[in-house]
Amino acid sequence: MPIYGLIDANSFYCSCQRVFEARIRTAPVVVLSNNDGCAIARTKEAKQLGIRMGDAWHLIRRRPELARVQWYSSNYPLYADMSRRMYQVLESRVPRVEPYSIDEMFLDLSGLPYDLPAFCRQLRDEVRAVAKIPTCIGWGPTKTIAKLANGIAKNRPELDGVCDLNREADRQAYFHELSIGEVWGIGRRTAEKLQRAGIQTIADFVAMDSRAARSMLTVVGARVQAELRGQSCLPLSELAAPCQGLACTRTFGRLVDNWTDLREAVSHYATTAAEKLRAEGMTASFMTVFIQTAPHQKDTSWYANQQSCGIEPTSDTLVLITEALRLLRRIWKPGYRYFKAGVMLDGLCPAGVQTGLFQTQDPVKSSRLMDALDAVNGRYGRGTVRPLSTGLDRTWRARQAMLSPAYTTRLQDIMEVKAW
Amino acid sequence: MSGAYAGDRTTGFASPASDSTEGPIDLSEALDLHRPNRYPVRVVGDALAARGILHGDVLIVDTAARPQSGCVVVARWQDQTIVCEITRQRGAWWLRSGKGQDAQMHPLDPAHDSEVWAVVAALVRMKI
Repeated sequence: MPIYGLIDANSFYCSCQRVFEARIRTAPVVVLSNNDGCAIARTKEAKQLGIRMGDAWHLIRRRPELARVQWYSSNYPLYADMSRRMYQVLESRVPRVEPYSIDEMFLDLSGLPYDLPAFCRQLRDEVRAVAKIPTCIGWGPTKTIAKLANGIAKNRPELDGVCDLNREADRQAYFHELSIGEVWGIGRRTAEKLQRAGIQTIADFVAMDSRAARSMLTVVGARVQAELRGQSCLPLSELAAPCQGLACTRTFGRLVDNWTDLREAVSHYATTAAEKLRAEGMTASFMTVFIQTAPHQKDTSWYANQQSCGIEPTSDTLVLITEALRLLRRIWKPGYRYFKAGVMLDGLCPAGVQTGLFQTQDPVKSSRLMDALDAVNGRYGRGTVRPLSTGLDRTWRARQAMLSPAYTTRLQDIMEVKAW
Repeated sequence: MSGAYAGDRTTGFASPASDSTEGPIDLSEALDLHRPNRYPVRVVGDALAARGILHGDVLIVDTAARPQSGCVVVARWQDQTIVCEITRQRGAWWLRSGKGQDAQMHPLDPAHDSEVWAVVAALVRMKI
């Protein structure tokens, strides 16, 4: 019988900030989305002050009761590195680990010769000590049950961060209590559909005739039901599937109304997308560029457009910029205030596979130039050497007014400690 | 790196070392920086000069190591992150200031306001 665990970091982004700043260890902490838009991570102190997920920072920042809140711009280099540490700690103790998201990992706990509750408590302590991140762990015979157990461990302080749903008898009590909407894979619409049919709790859903479940919710719903009954249908996948396409899109720090800024931004996104491509060892053969104005702008009219084209397979920044700007020129219209733009690449295939007989680029020369570019930027920091078309001042860039240092990934940013 | 000459691919006489290149020494490997328990931090102040730790030094600290009496640790003390000595005396652990004879002591109390964050494992000084 397989046993799956799910370990999940508590308020992960906020916890990462706390690792390197002693003064906020008990303060309410909120991390904001790209562009300092809205709250995307909150410590329990911040939740208690009534800050909700998605609350817009500019609307709530001046509230007197939130004066003590520590706001942070999202610092993804830091979060990625702390996630890596969490994964490595787990990987050293558990045979197989699946990084499901940046802050939650599935564990294969099948057949371990340990007392699982004691072992999981140790795992939690070790992640806390080494990666400095507080977590909760839940486990059971399927991934869906493990995910549910994790949620229970998180919501019930009396469980001390661990929840064992491996035995059916232990599951029953929770299944009668919890609403069907709490289940991983059951979205809001599906939950409403089930509730209309009289299915309120997880126990109701588990007891439902499986053919009825399948005809109402298709094979996806039937699989959730089987998983809740303890039949494992979702195996552990240790690596993410190779990406089919990749995108680089951002909301601007301010509305952009002129060609120069828009051209710089799109060049920048093409540059970033090309870097991602090369990091994956891939080339792209299809490109889409889009631009759009703010969706809820009352004073100005709305405009959005996109253009795609096939390109000679490449991961060369300069080629991709040229293509992206060619597409942008076709959709650009003056007189609008743009809010967002993006570059998307598709038709990815491993670099070095020759796809055309008559190549117009010199692949050797191009790859040498890109290697040099990546080596310089890898050593001295992203964007040290970049095409001039991506701009110098770059005032359109996303706001990150409350960005903390990249404590673990840049030498000039590491934590300072006072000698005592 | 592709295309870089490393003592192997010579144009005239074949390099006798072509199967033996090892590349430059990787200090991040020597300092174990790829492990999850290793963090670099920078020292501010000269209070630990007697231990050979100076202002501006980069310390590699280890969050998995167990502190022993007399070693240097990074500790959380109230709202600060400090680097100091740790010592065991009279059956308890103490943080000890590095400043000479009249060294101050502070009891270690993880439940309250002070705990060990990591043990100092290595030192890097970029400029002598």
